[in-house]
Amino acid sequence: MPVTPPRSRRLILGLTALILLLMLVSLMVGPAGLSPREALLALISGEGPAGIIVRDIRLPRTLLAVLIGATLGLSGAALQGLLRNPLAEPALFGAPQAAAAAASFMIAFGFVSATSLAVPLAGMAGALVSVGGLVAIAGSRASLTVILLAGLALASFAGAVTALILNLAPNPFIALEVAFWLLGSLEDRSSDHLMIAAPFLLASWVVLFANARSFRALTLGEDAAASLGVDLVRTRLMVVVGVALGVGAAVAVAGSIGFVGLVAPHLVRRAVNSDPARVMLPGALAGAALLLAADTAVRIIPAAIELKVGVVTALIGVPFFLMMIFGERRELEGAPA
Amino acid sequence: MSAAPMLAADGLSVRLDRAPIVKEASLALQGGQFTALVGPNGAGKTTLIRALAGLIPASGIIMLDGMGLSTFSPRERARRIAYLPQGNTFHWPMPVEQIVALGRYPHGDPFAPPTEADRMAVAHAMEITGIRDFLHRPVTHLSGGERARVALARALATEAKVLLADEPTMSLDPRHQLTVMDLLRDQARKGSAVLAVVHDLALAARYADRVITIQEGRVSADARPQDALNAERIASVFGVEATIIEFDKSRIPVARRAL
Repeated sequence: MPVTPPRSRRLILGLTALILLLMLVSLMVGPAGLSPREALLALISGEGPAGIIVRDIRLPRTLLAVLIGATLGLSGAALQGLLRNPLAEPALFGAPQAAAAAASFMIAFGFVSATSLAVPLAGMAGALVSVGGLVAIAGSRASLTVILLAGLALASFAGAVTALILNLAPNPFIALEVAFWLLGSLEDRSSDHLMIAAPFLLASWVVLFANARSFRALTLGEDAAASLGVDLVRTRLMVVVGVALGVGAAVAVAGSIGFVGLVAPHLVRRAVNSDPARVMLPGALAGAALLLAADTAVRIIPAAIELKVGVVTALIGVPFFLMMIFGERRELEGAPA
Repeated sequence: MSAAPMLAADGLSVRLDRAPIVKEASLALQGGQFTALVGPNGAGKTTLIRALAGLIPASGIIMLDGMGLSTFSPRERARRIAYLPQGNTFHWPMPVEQIVALGRYPHGDPFAPPTEADRMAVAHAMEITGIRDFLHRPVTHLSGGERARVALARALATEAKVLLADEPTMSLDPRHQLTVMDLLRDQARKGSAVLAVVHDLALAARYADRVITIQEGRVSADARPQDALNAERIASVFGVEATIIEFDKSRIPVARRAL
């Protein structure tokens, strides 16, 4: 029920404070380092070179990291709620890859510019096929084995389509473009990117949050949830559409960034007593904090070329995923949960 | 018992993947009665009970409180029929109290905080099922008997007038079987119409007011326990030779050998 217990309220406040702090750090960090005071002054006044750096370069990037991180965290929490499984994560069944393949296809062969509305629309279509496919295959049974195997097949398919685009790419520029989508980065994103993605990201939040109570009822399994009045078809459809909107739009501006949806809800789940409804808000906030931290880290880590944030999240996420599989081993081996 | 039935089916048939599972079943559940549904594995008991709960499409007529079941919105139906599926599955380690509170899902405004009535219903359901001692524990950490009582409390918290329970005593020790059967019978005594799938014929004979036997999707008997569970019918329904013993004013069938 919607009354928030003190522990989860403290968690939400703490995560919000953390995000604000990380946002400030994100405005400070870059080739031209600024002190907290300089960054804040530049943000407020917008004057001088610092004003341009903070407002036009770092602010869009920071806001995108928050919005996309929150969307990915929320998408993970929603899919986990629907499939009743903590291992459900868009990247595991290739949703970002499918979105990236569709988006790069548009740029490679459709001759549209990277900030055209066609790119997020293509990304959403790609994600829709991938998420829809997974829910259609694994939806009603929700066995972990089926989810993971279906995810493997869908991810491989997304990989094959990407390979096909690389194969057929009319020039090397396009191959580079595809590789760029697959890595995932927030570098050099402008307010144009922000404007293109934000409406879809916010729409996905509304669609996903509307199902919070259904996820809680689904704790009892599909039959019991349906007997309590949950419309399963509508819930499934809304989650597929919500995740496709969010992941598709995120990939269209930032490329493929995986595993935030797996890690973020998992970090906060215990604090909300594993309630699949109550995990959504802190899961989204944790996602925002994670991506913001990762995107700030890639600017601090010394490297000849800036690290791509999608590479960082995957490097952290995959071992995390293996650790979680270890925890779920009993169920995977067929023992009663 | 001439009162209008709370839930009734007439000529109910269900096909799953085109195979007929329930064939022309007719039955009526009265308030105040505890009905046991018995039959061999694969006879269609679960399918019948799911159809009665409105969870799967069926042909024929199902009437709830005198009106067609399909005329009710899912939430309205959920306030009148509580359904307890087989197996007591809980997918997340949520605290017991929050699981029981899910029984209130069909009530009230979805975005309002729980009302006094919600709190009372949850507290009462936990009280009568004896699970108050571990209301904060994660439900997945409980024993089978405890989980069965939590699942039942969740169904009771809805305060629906019809309770459909699919094998509520499955894999429970004798003591918990009796506890659950007592609770179901009490629920009927308070005026609810209770239908439960029961595999233990002795339990069915002792506790139920009525026994419905189902064979290959058809209702083959619908009568008082001593009439529905006589040696002859047990032989034809279950393929088992049974001896009837008198015990505690009941006639209890004991399965002796497979025929």
